[in-house]
Amino acid sequence: MTAKRIPRLGIGGPVGSGKTMLIEKIVPVLAAKGYNAGIVSNDVVSREDADRMRHNLATEQGILSEDLVIGLATGGCPHTAVREDPSMNISIIEEMESKYNYLDLIIIESGGDNITTTFSPALADYFIYIIDVSGGDKYPRKRGLGIETCDLLVINKIDLAPHVGADLTIMERDAKAVRGDKPYVFVNSMTGQGIAQVTEHIIRDILFESPPKTVAKN
Amino acid sequence: MSTDDDDATMDAADLSMMQLSDSFFPTGMYSMSNGLEAIFYSGRKIKAEELRELVKTYLEYQIGPADCTALGIAYEHAARSNLLKLLEVDRAIFSMKLVQEIRDASIRSGTQLVRCIRSFSDNKILGQYDDAIRGGQAFGPYPVALAVAANAFLIPKEKAALVMLYSFSVSIVGAALRLGMLQHFDGQKVIDELKPTIVKVTKANINRPIEGMWQFAPSIDIIQISHERMNSKMFIT
Repeated sequence: MTAKRIPRLGIGGPVGSGKTMLIEKIVPVLAAKGYNAGIVSNDVVSREDADRMRHNLATEQGILSEDLVIGLATGGCPHTAVREDPSMNISIIEEMESKYNYLDLIIIESGGDNITTTFSPALADYFIYIIDVSGGDKYPRKRGLGIETCDLLVINKIDLAPHVGADLTIMERDAKAVRGDKPYVFVNSMTGQGIAQVTEHIIRDILFESPPKTVAKN
Repeated sequence: MSTDDDDATMDAADLSMMQLSDSFFPTGMYSMSNGLEAIFYSGRKIKAEELRELVKTYLEYQIGPADCTALGIAYEHAARSNLLKLLEVDRAIFSMKLVQEIRDASIRSGTQLVRCIRSFSDNKILGQYDDAIRGGQAFGPYPVALAVAANAFLIPKEKAALVMLYSFSVSIVGAALRLGMLQHFDGQKVIDELKPTIVKVTKANINRPIEGMWQFAPSIDIIQISHERMNSKMFIT
């Protein structure tokens, strides 16, 4: 029997921009509100991100079970795995949907890639693109499909801005110019600054403020 | 005498063959090295001619007598709309895939292949096979899925086998290129040199019965198991 589709959140961004840590920060906030998430982590050359999230979120914090964090190799083509040929991701997610139908959300982390990353709509219902200030304040202005078309732009590591000569007002101005009315959030994942806002977007724009499945059942 | 309609049908089938063998077709094969990555990380240097011989071994002792034969049998059952017999081949080839990550990759590719084609084809047996996979009565390994798809597209059985063996060879050569084991012209030379083997393996295996399915490539099994146990890797298999 085909399982019902569980809302899917895609998170993409360049190598080192903070995709994994963003997930490590938003999952506990969602869990505190009763929402259960599963994670598929696409990695370019290792399973390190999946192992780290499994250790942190499952083994250490006990927020989810260890088998709900799945690592996926991408043959060196991270963008292909989430856009042109998402078949391996879709297959794994469909297996999760039939095994863990109580999940409220499945998060798909793309392997680190360039600014053209986007998610196939067949794979993800909502797309967060994350950049960090250390790449310079030119990043939003440079556009690229990821920055332009994502549902939510996250600008991470804002505490580093003064140290790398990045001007947040320029990044904000350019994000508005490039994205129009579409939202962006300034985040410092290390301290948790901005994480609540990101989570609010997820609950409102992907989960449509429906109650967690475990709550709705009782 | 062939008519314009016949020619058009054959041309369409040829185009479908190209479509299925194109690396752009979404089956995730770009993410599979079939164990080659384990050889690379073992530190062993492989020349183009050694890679060619390695792929030949895969074709002659693993993919040919197992997957190619399964494809041929599955194609006949699909052509006769015999779902029960199709499910027998499905189980047989699934159980012959000894390494879990190879088995998982085969059924994930096969399942997505069937679903993709069902989204634009109303072929009855393909729909029934997809329903059987969704219902847990079938696994959906790639050779069976490709046979059902080829039948739906009116691609002749032998040509379907060529598609499978060619795609398999390209996925390994592609992995070798991405791992930096050989250069792009060398990759095309290897594929060209594999053509006679692909044709020979197809002819030798496409019409054998289910009882005749076999595989014996223990070194390759060990390489694939080694890959499964690697902590850090770029490829699914």
